[in-house]
Amino acid sequence: MALTTAPDPTRRGPGSARAHPQRRGPGRFRHSEGLAGYVFLSPWLIGLMGVTAIPMLLSLYLSFTNYDILTPFSEVEWVGLANYERMFTADPSYWHAVRVTLTFALIAVPLKLAAALGVALLLNRAWRGVGLFRGLFYLPSLLGGSVALAIVWVNMFNRDGAFNSLLSLFGITGKPWVNDPDWALETLMVLAIWQFGAPMVIFLAGLKQVPTELYEAASVDGAGRLRQFRDVTLPMLSPVIFFNLVLETINGFQGFTAAFVLSNGTGGPVDSTLMYTLNLYITGFTDLNMGYASAMAWVFLIAIAVITAVFFSTGRFWVHYSDGEDR
Amino acid sequence: MHPATPPTTGTPVGRAHRTPLPRRRLLRGLLAVTVAAPLMFGAAACGDDGGAADPNAPVKLSIFWWGGDARAKLTEDALALYTQKHPNVTFEKTWQANQGYFDKLATLTAGGNPPDLFQIDDNYLAEYAARNTTLDLTPYQESGKLDTSKFPKSLWQYGVVDGKLAGLAAGENTQGLVYNKTLLTKHNLPEPTTGMSWEQHIAWAEQVTAKTKVPGTQDPSADYKAFWVWLRQQGKDLYKGKELGFTAEDVTKWFDLWKGARDRKATPTADVIHEGNASDVTKQLVVTGKAATSWVWANQMPDLKKNTKDELGVIAYPGDPSAQWARASMYWSVFKGSKNKDVAIDVINFLNNDVAAVKLLGTDRGLPSNLDLRRVVSDDTTDPAMKQSIAVEAELTQKFGESPQVPIKGHSKVKSELIKAAENAQYGRATPAEAAAQFVEACKSAIA
Repeated sequence: MALTTAPDPTRRGPGSARAHPQRRGPGRFRHSEGLAGYVFLSPWLIGLMGVTAIPMLLSLYLSFTNYDILTPFSEVEWVGLANYERMFTADPSYWHAVRVTLTFALIAVPLKLAAALGVALLLNRAWRGVGLFRGLFYLPSLLGGSVALAIVWVNMFNRDGAFNSLLSLFGITGKPWVNDPDWALETLMVLAIWQFGAPMVIFLAGLKQVPTELYEAASVDGAGRLRQFRDVTLPMLSPVIFFNLVLETINGFQGFTAAFVLSNGTGGPVDSTLMYTLNLYITGFTDLNMGYASAMAWVFLIAIAVITAVFFSTGRFWVHYSDGEDR
Repeated sequence: MHPATPPTTGTPVGRAHRTPLPRRRLLRGLLAVTVAAPLMFGAAACGDDGGAADPNAPVKLSIFWWGGDARAKLTEDALALYTQKHPNVTFEKTWQANQGYFDKLATLTAGGNPPDLFQIDDNYLAEYAARNTTLDLTPYQESGKLDTSKFPKSLWQYGVVDGKLAGLAAGENTQGLVYNKTLLTKHNLPEPTTGMSWEQHIAWAEQVTAKTKVPGTQDPSADYKAFWVWLRQQGKDLYKGKELGFTAEDVTKWFDLWKGARDRKATPTADVIHEGNASDVTKQLVVTGKAATSWVWANQMPDLKKNTKDELGVIAYPGDPSAQWARASMYWSVFKGSKNKDVAIDVINFLNNDVAAVKLLGTDRGLPSNLDLRRVVSDDTTDPAMKQSIAVEAELTQKFGESPQVPIKGHSKVKSELIKAAENAQYGRATPAEAAAQFVEACKSAIA
């Protein structure tokens, strides 16, 4: 499966050996080939510069200014580190948003991965109609971060929504989940967890790659199901787990659409769904503090980079790229 | 002098007007080079004509507003009427729902592509005016190009920010307490009346809850316009100059008032109050059936009526109605950097003072600002909900107090902070005093 080879940078196929002699070709040839390379790259390169790199650098500059969207660029004032100072010392709602986002990511991401892995294990068997189930479980992910889905969610978890009707069948009086500051964020977590299809498909692909002889050997050695899972499945799956963990964590931190729709773009009730990105959006576009919002965006970028770096550095201890060729 | 541009008929496509300009200039340039000296004077004269001074030069004016389909239809019809009278002027019309409108407007401004003419309300007028985005309309008002002689003085004055007329009232409205008539009649309950005190209103609401099982009133403690009216009745205001016009004690009293109302079950529970705190007309509790009264603007009556089968009534907010004022429901503002300022001004003037245009627009943006035409429109109106809102505003007009100053820069943040603080108290996560202290603190940094 292509998916499992993707996160495996150490694999050296015959392809790289073949590419080698070409690099030693005559200089002129190399030059024109390089130019052609850039020409072929240009659609991507122009996109990168125009849509990503230049705006990013601009926002870095703006994060040191009092830019408020309405004032022309030429009249923007340089304020040094004032925006960053305000963020760290004088803005309680900023830290509130950080807390909300961390809570969301710390709970939703592991549960989502656990759900994805659990269902992938179940669907890895050769049952009749298992393909249909794979499709069904993947379906919510196709709907992705869509607005329509969030609206459905709000209506399902209202005081008089479908979920409470279901509860009332069992004699339980539900809560106004989405309108209760103690439960609104949890409702968003459930939505995120429910969309476990994408990591599940990747897990499934990973499970298919585990050589059956390892299980045979383990069972010959007397390992039970649980032991096999712990000592064969998990280590063999660790690159895939790592890949999913990194991606889902980044996704988790960036959750925006559902929170925006659920709270009408306010982060309410009482800021309970004020995710980092939503707070950033409100600061920039509603309160017109675009300079400050740019500073928030940069701190966010750095925070995510640090977290990802931590994952990569700890990965050494628990991720096994054991195709037998390396390490 | 301009045979290149045919007079427009019907609904012209704007693009057709843009293209002839550069081509003409190019031709003129070629002409000047080849024929040179003999025609110098002619070319110069032609050049003068091509400038903005020519009243017949084709102009494409961009205009942006928020609202629903109905407003779009009315506005497009009125603008078509303008094009009929001034065939050289066509419009690039953009409109969308209120949610996201100001994000879009800010983004357009940032992108250096703001509309020549745009709709704005008092929540954002000062934000834009303080940043020099809006054109000062005072000179046009003085020269008579913008005729406000038939406007109530307090109404156009409610568009003045820092001594500059930043926007011209596109209509007038005032706070309106809308109640469910059908529900009250069914249960033999009295209708509320203008002039009831806040305590009387709450006592009435408590009685409604007890008899109908529908909470008597939405809790408006998160609603800045209700808070504002209440403050004015206490001799305070939302803003005084660049400062807050109230203290934490005032806010505590306000939150306490409504905590009492909640304890007496005059209002719904916190989660339902939260639903009603959305500004969307369709979510107002009086139309969703979750409360008997909602706190809105009087001109929203027709919109509210569209969302419920029940009969609705409208009165002033509780307390002395002279705390209310002739508020500009929204304004027309001109972008300061617009290349078509004169035309934009003329369009505003037309939309406010032309009989046919005002009749077309009706009371969709509030009561017409021009008092003569307001009479014409109210005589013409057939929509019963619109009639009601006209009636209550006509009655209140005699009692209106002086307009407060337009909310200052940072007001949008103050509004959202009030919602947060009030909900903190409503959900019981903070005492009224704690919530009030937090609110005042947040306001101070918002308007700093």
